[in-house]
Amino acid sequence: MSQTAIRSLADHFAEQVRRQPDAPALIWDGAPVSYRELQQLAGSSFAELQDARLREDRPVGIRAKKSPEAIGLILACLRAGRSFLLPSVELAPETLAQLFAQAGTSQVLSPHGPRSESAASLRALVDDARAAPDAAGIEWPPVGGGEDVTFMLTTSGSTGLPKIVPLTASGVDAFTDWAAEQFEIEAGTVVANYAPLNFDLCLLDIWTTLKHGGTVAMVDQDRATQGAYLAELVNDNRVNVLQAVPMLYRLLIDVHREDWRTFPSVRHVISTGDKIPASSLAELPTLFPNARFYNLYGCTETNDSLIHEFVGLADGNVPSHVPVGQPIPGVIARLQQEDGTALEGAGTGEFVVWTPFQTRGYLKASLNDEKFVTLSENGGDGRIYYKSGDIVRRHEDGTLTLEGRSDFYVKVRGVRVSTQVVEQAIQEHPAVVEVAVIAVPDELAGARLHAHVRREVDAKLNSLILRQHCATRLARTEMPSMIEIVTEPLPKTSTGKVDRKAVAAALERSRANG
Amino acid sequence: MDETTQKIKAFIVEEFMPDVPVEDLDDDFDLLTGGVVDSLGLLKVVAWLEDEFDIGVDDSELGPDSFRTVAAIKAYVDQARETAHAE
Repeated sequence: MSQTAIRSLADHFAEQVRRQPDAPALIWDGAPVSYRELQQLAGSSFAELQDARLREDRPVGIRAKKSPEAIGLILACLRAGRSFLLPSVELAPETLAQLFAQAGTSQVLSPHGPRSESAASLRALVDDARAAPDAAGIEWPPVGGGEDVTFMLTTSGSTGLPKIVPLTASGVDAFTDWAAEQFEIEAGTVVANYAPLNFDLCLLDIWTTLKHGGTVAMVDQDRATQGAYLAELVNDNRVNVLQAVPMLYRLLIDVHREDWRTFPSVRHVISTGDKIPASSLAELPTLFPNARFYNLYGCTETNDSLIHEFVGLADGNVPSHVPVGQPIPGVIARLQQEDGTALEGAGTGEFVVWTPFQTRGYLKASLNDEKFVTLSENGGDGRIYYKSGDIVRRHEDGTLTLEGRSDFYVKVRGVRVSTQVVEQAIQEHPAVVEVAVIAVPDELAGARLHAHVRREVDAKLNSLILRQHCATRLARTEMPSMIEIVTEPLPKTSTGKVDRKAVAAALERSRANG
Repeated sequence: MDETTQKIKAFIVEEFMPDVPVEDLDDDFDLLTGGVVDSLGLLKVVAWLEDEFDIGVDDSELGPDSFRTVAAIKAYVDQARETAHAE
């Protein structure tokens, strides 16, 4: 057994099976799946993998919705030392096929085996994609790939084909050890898993937990927006660690308002993936009387890089600007100004970071030039830094807050405006549930801002009240030209974030219809 | 509330913030800082004033301060009418 194999996730899992075979590894659909049972699922997938006699030097593709069988299949790949591409199952078949072709996958697997109907039909699509004249084939092994690659995840891909992010075994190992220590995940700990299986968040809630002998209470993707179901999952399984996008907390807050339910078993509440509104933060201590509260900041390329613990929420110490946090031990971060120099002191800059968990680069080498860089003044450190595209503000006291994505900046009457800063200001109004600010192209102004706001059903809120609220928080160029107030939920992406593109498309349609 | 003020408020609400009850709009609410009326909106307001109150607005008078609040617009209209009567 080689040095890397001893440290692999699969070996840690096998060790847990030996130590506590009857302990629940997963809870799925209300029923426990023990470590031994999960091992059996992994074993049958492993046997199929061996029988299939796949090319040793190529990754496999996995197309799987969250289920114990899917977890078993991933464990089998880990045990076989195979890298595997795990994209969202919600992608269009053609997009999936292109991704699998780009990764050079030798086979597409689904939990029911390589010969299942869906895998076979997708296989044909992958072959077509690979044979296409414009196929973005990759020389194998690619820069970011290699023998030590395990998971290959994809970015959400706001434009074009999602990017493939290969993660090394050592990166995954370092992250899962950090997460276990930080959030006290060990044998007996119950961790809820909210995100879909292909999300980087699963490295914390599923893989850290299985590595360290805990129990994963898995949320069924089809019921992920049902507050009552989520509340029961947390309480029935006595969940100790909860990691999710702000939407989950909003859903639980709504349940709490209905029946005053609380979640006393939860010890660590982690908000990630999006900025949690101060109004939600303020309510968390009531829902989770025994918990500590954190914001985690990261991305698929680097995994988590910053952590903030909210101290004193219960005493009303709620920051209106949610800090993204400070670097996790081992992480090197800086704010880069437009001229490429590091920002010292207060101000804004692009967040540029190196983490012990990060990828070596996207699988497609041509994508790496602008995102993965060496820093000349650090000359000798030999590290490859990731340019996040996030604009971060450092305050006088050293606190870091997220200003927005650099791609959310638009020009209004010649002035650079971040639609996310505008959203943040509107969100601070207590009657606002959620908001999307869209830049509508305008011949004269360059862009005009349209705010689409969902208010609390029983709150009195109109555009005038909101304008008065914003007047003290925003510059004139930042003030939306149009404010539309609704009570229905805004459209969401598969990750539970407000889907600005869908809001913009709806706006475009209503404008076209006059 | 006098008739002129009422008309001005009704127009601004209908044109720029149809979700707001007319009585919620204060006479001295800053329409410009509040983003209700921007430079394009200002042109709309002026065109309506000229039409509704039969007054002429000189481009040189198009400074934002004359139109910053409902009270300012009302004062402008009153003054323009007086000037027109005096002529």
